[in-house]
Amino acid sequence: MPNIRYANMCHWKTIPYRQIDNFREFYYEDKTNSAYYSDWDSILKYQSALGFPGIEIAPWDLADIVPLFGSPENFAAFARERGVEVIGMFHGAHASHDAGHFDEAVRAGREAVDTIVRFGGSYMNTCPTQNYFGTGPLGREEVQQCARVMNEIGRYATDHGVKIGLHNEFFCAINLPNHRELIESTDPRLVHYCIDTAQISIMGEDLLTFYDDYHERISTFHLKDTASARQPDSVRYAQDPEITDDGTRWFWEPGLGELDLEGLYRLLKKHEFKGWMGIEYDGSPDLLASMALTRYHLDNVLRPIYD
Amino acid sequence: MNRDDIAISLDLINRHYQEPNRNRYESRYFWEELYPLVAAAGFTSIELPYEPVWQFGGRSGVPLNRYCVNTKYGSAAGYLERLRAGGIARVSGVTFDPNLFMRNDSLDFYFGASGHFAGEALGHAADLGADYVAISPSPFYGRIAQYHPDLEAKRAGFAERTAALLSGLAAKAEEAGVTLVLRNEYWSLFGGSHLAGLLDALPASVMLDLDTANLFVAGIAPADFLARHQGRIGCVHLTDTSFVAGEGTWKTPNPEFPEARATQVFRDPGTGSVDLPGIAALLDEAGYRGPVTCSARQTRDPFRALLRIRALLSQIQN
Repeated sequence: MPNIRYANMCHWKTIPYRQIDNFREFYYEDKTNSAYYSDWDSILKYQSALGFPGIEIAPWDLADIVPLFGSPENFAAFARERGVEVIGMFHGAHASHDAGHFDEAVRAGREAVDTIVRFGGSYMNTCPTQNYFGTGPLGREEVQQCARVMNEIGRYATDHGVKIGLHNEFFCAINLPNHRELIESTDPRLVHYCIDTAQISIMGEDLLTFYDDYHERISTFHLKDTASARQPDSVRYAQDPEITDDGTRWFWEPGLGELDLEGLYRLLKKHEFKGWMGIEYDGSPDLLASMALTRYHLDNVLRPIYD
Repeated sequence: MNRDDIAISLDLINRHYQEPNRNRYESRYFWEELYPLVAAAGFTSIELPYEPVWQFGGRSGVPLNRYCVNTKYGSAAGYLERLRAGGIARVSGVTFDPNLFMRNDSLDFYFGASGHFAGEALGHAADLGADYVAISPSPFYGRIAQYHPDLEAKRAGFAERTAALLSGLAAKAEEAGVTLVLRNEYWSLFGGSHLAGLLDALPASVMLDLDTANLFVAGIAPADFLARHQGRIGCVHLTDTSFVAGEGTWKTPNPEFPEARATQVFRDPGTGSVDLPGIAALLDEAGYRGPVTCSARQTRDPFRALLRIRALLSQIQN
């Protein structure tokens, strides 16, 4: 049994069918590759074939998945039949820095935990609050408020068998000046951390130093590469920086950017990390190609270091 | 039918469904490259689907709501200036569908959010100088039923609240000089015989959309529809299909993608089974001079669709 199992963070846009039984007929209607990206049966088979037995879903998937399958349990069973388990769901803890939103932020977090339990998952990677633009800079008390919300959600999650992992984006109101302050203000028994390797590097953390410092808190990863580490405040604090106007990509498949992912794997070995490594392909024009390239890089470069 | 000013709906860009290269659609550069290509295909008017979803989560590259337009261009006027630089003279209409807000069992949430964002769509349409806002009066029937299994018992109350919401919008539309138009969709709670009841409850200023593919799927002859609603057609959508709906397809949660048999319900205009030249002739006979918009929603290739539609219109126009 390997120490690391691999999952994909779900970045597929709406997949309209569960399973296409008339695939050839559907293809011939307009003879394009749309047929290959239109049903969960195919998507999950791609994952399974490429050695990704886990999927982390996103909350924005629910509005399509739940009506299509009838329930989270049905989706989980369908995925399991194809060799894929739902490991968890991403969550955005909107306005958790705002004391006036405490009840609402905790309620939304608990509901998300309930949903994850229904999917059979055990991780909730959680963005601690919204974008910096329009919200930051946060005061010390607002950071503490954020920590209180995380602890509260974390307590409920722990009681229900789910680990919440703080997940910081490079453009969040929690940002370089208060990133570690938030982590250290949360209860390590209840609140863990999901390292998004590219996001924290773009924000300005040194990936290897950060993992070394916080390895005991790490519940899981979003593994992706970047060629844009240490962006200045003017970029990180700008309005809506995640999707660029000119198509510049923040994120690349492992090995196509500049991060020292081999160094990370040496540290994973040193600290004997065991658990799920989620791969994320946001910004990719071709998720299937990204998945295959990633599998090659894992098998030939990273897994030989630590498996 | 005014053949000189036929618009194209930007719903030909498949924003929501997965396929390679879809990510381009979320960046500003894609749309700014698109406008001159639309103009090169012979269209100088566009219709915009109003989609609140692009303003959530701090992303604003898709210019299909007021927030995104204001973020990237400062104002509707700034956006119009950019369109004109790309060869697009005007925005003829805006569409709005409330499916996004049917996501839980709270009808207060649905009507509150739908009313708010439909109002935003209307204000945006007015700012852009559009002729009409075409609104879907309900989410997909099956999507409502997912969260409200007792939908038939709630139908009267739902209809009453819908009529109140639309009447409020109609008053605002009149003030703004925009025509409010009801989309007539076969999957709607107000499809078929239920449409008449809703229309009766609305002010006379509320008009109807004649959508050719939707009529085809519902089995309604365009000539009959035109005769029945003479003088109340507010816009025409030239859409195409070869879809023959199975029993109950319209009641499923996502009827644009029929559960029982995968198919492209909406085909690129000119490639399906709707007699579009015949319908153009009918509109001429009826003396219709209002807005006409071509839509290639669900196309597999937006650029091929643009040229396919131009080829069709060349046929119709000659």
